[in-house]
Amino acid sequence: MTSMGTTGFEITVNLIKTVLVFLMMVQAVPILVWLERRGSAFIQNRFGPNRVGPLGLVQLLADAVKFLTKEDFVPEKGSRFMFYAAPVFALIPAAIAYMAIPMSVPLKLEGATFLIQGFEVNVGIVFVLGVSSLAAYTILMAGWGSGSKYSLMGAMRASAQIISYELALGLSIVGVILIYGTFNLTDMINAQHGALSFSMFGYTVSSAYLPNWGIFYQPIGMILFFAATFAESNRLPFDLAEGEAELVAGFHTEYGGFKMLMFFIGEYGHMMIASGLMATFFFGGYSIWNFTPQQVYEWLYGLVGSELLANILNTVVHFLSYNLKFAIFLWIFIWVRWTLPRFRYDQLMDIGWKTMLPWALANAMLTATLIFAGSYFIF
Amino acid sequence: MTADTFLFWFLAFAIIAGALGVVLMTNPIHSALGLVLTMVSVAAIFVTLQAYFLAGVQLIVYAGAVMVLFVMVLMLFDLKNEIQAFSRGRIRGALKIGSVGILSGLIVGAFAKALIANQALGAKGSLASTASTAVGAIKPLAENLFFNHVFSFELLGVLLLVIAVGTVALSRSKGGTHDRN
Repeated sequence: MTSMGTTGFEITVNLIKTVLVFLMMVQAVPILVWLERRGSAFIQNRFGPNRVGPLGLVQLLADAVKFLTKEDFVPEKGSRFMFYAAPVFALIPAAIAYMAIPMSVPLKLEGATFLIQGFEVNVGIVFVLGVSSLAAYTILMAGWGSGSKYSLMGAMRASAQIISYELALGLSIVGVILIYGTFNLTDMINAQHGALSFSMFGYTVSSAYLPNWGIFYQPIGMILFFAATFAESNRLPFDLAEGEAELVAGFHTEYGGFKMLMFFIGEYGHMMIASGLMATFFFGGYSIWNFTPQQVYEWLYGLVGSELLANILNTVVHFLSYNLKFAIFLWIFIWVRWTLPRFRYDQLMDIGWKTMLPWALANAMLTATLIFAGSYFIF
Repeated sequence: MTADTFLFWFLAFAIIAGALGVVLMTNPIHSALGLVLTMVSVAAIFVTLQAYFLAGVQLIVYAGAVMVLFVMVLMLFDLKNEIQAFSRGRIRGALKIGSVGILSGLIVGAFAKALIANQALGAKGSLASTASTAVGAIKPLAENLFFNHVFSFELLGVLLLVIAVGTVALSRSKGGTHDRN
């Protein structure tokens, strides 16, 4: 991203892309809610919503109508401005951060190249972490603006948790940054194309079947990162912010109707960012198992025999590949939520500060040492 | 007016409005949120100057961690007395605003003087052109931090550690919230 664009055409394209990515995010939420309700029912041996439409798919439309027609309630003791501002702000960090994640190979159409992402940022990781760290304010604003003890307690817990786990989250990807030597998400994905091969201590290791994905270089980092993102998006087993048994519903106790739905979209937005980053850092982003985009393009070119069509198909195929990984991680989020019980608060803090932080630090140091030693000492 | 100048004026307005809000609001939480607005807008200004790394760090460290802690602590305490102390007295209020005005005038004056002196010396390239080439990349920043100024950088780290240890020691001695007795 150099600027908003230099020509009118660029500005228009960027604007359309921004709107498109935002709509994609918002439109994925009803599907995710349906998946969550059906999935939880499946896990708990129930039916879930199955009456409205085929497989209960239209249930969400009915819910949306219900949300829109609900009473617009504002608690008397709260701060009216903050109460209204919080759900609106809940959408912004998630939407902006998700736009920086590349979703497919750039589409080349007769001289023009379209990036399949909202905008390219040179320091993608720092940008995504920075923007999504602003989400703590929406929770604090909601808790304070509600003027209720439960809301405030939930907001305090949530923000303390987010700050604590941000450290582990940041440190767990230091290893990733060291391995790829870049902050740019597109460069990271480019480094993961093809089959696994690397050289260390003068030996070259390569595999015919395994892909060149980050998980083989950073297994500990992967686990720490995924665990920390659960805490960052306030999902079970880290949803101390809600804690139904203790706090009614945490920071959104006083919210109902569409305002509640906006918090929902924000939470799912954070899940989406986490899934997108997981795919990007550790599972090759949009790249396909064992193949480089060039190989896929040549195969497609041999199939359709037209450069333009092959380019478009290449982008579509990689877009599907990205979304497959994306969907798998979203499903894992839902799966874990309905499988694991909630932590106690002291356990939560212990895991964050005394377990994950030291492990993440150790992982970063080990990675740095190995990279240095592997390139300087030859046996 | 091009898009860049529009962005600059918009963000400059947001920064000033946020900063004024910090001083003029009576509720400490509103003040803290005003400071957040200022921090985020400054990060956005960094983006328009193509200093993406600085913008991200500004967001993560100041807006994302430091200010969240501020807001959290402000919300935790009962601040009725402090709100009164903030808003009591027109003369004191006028004095506060006046002193803020003098301070900002001093800062702006110093910058203006430096700029004029810079132009008089015939310095090569304006501030903006050096910013776009050097600050945006991470490597020059890292070289400056970890090679040229590594000693002062480490010293700052030690200073921060001393502050953290000192805070704990102070709060655990007499009468603090973590008092041993």
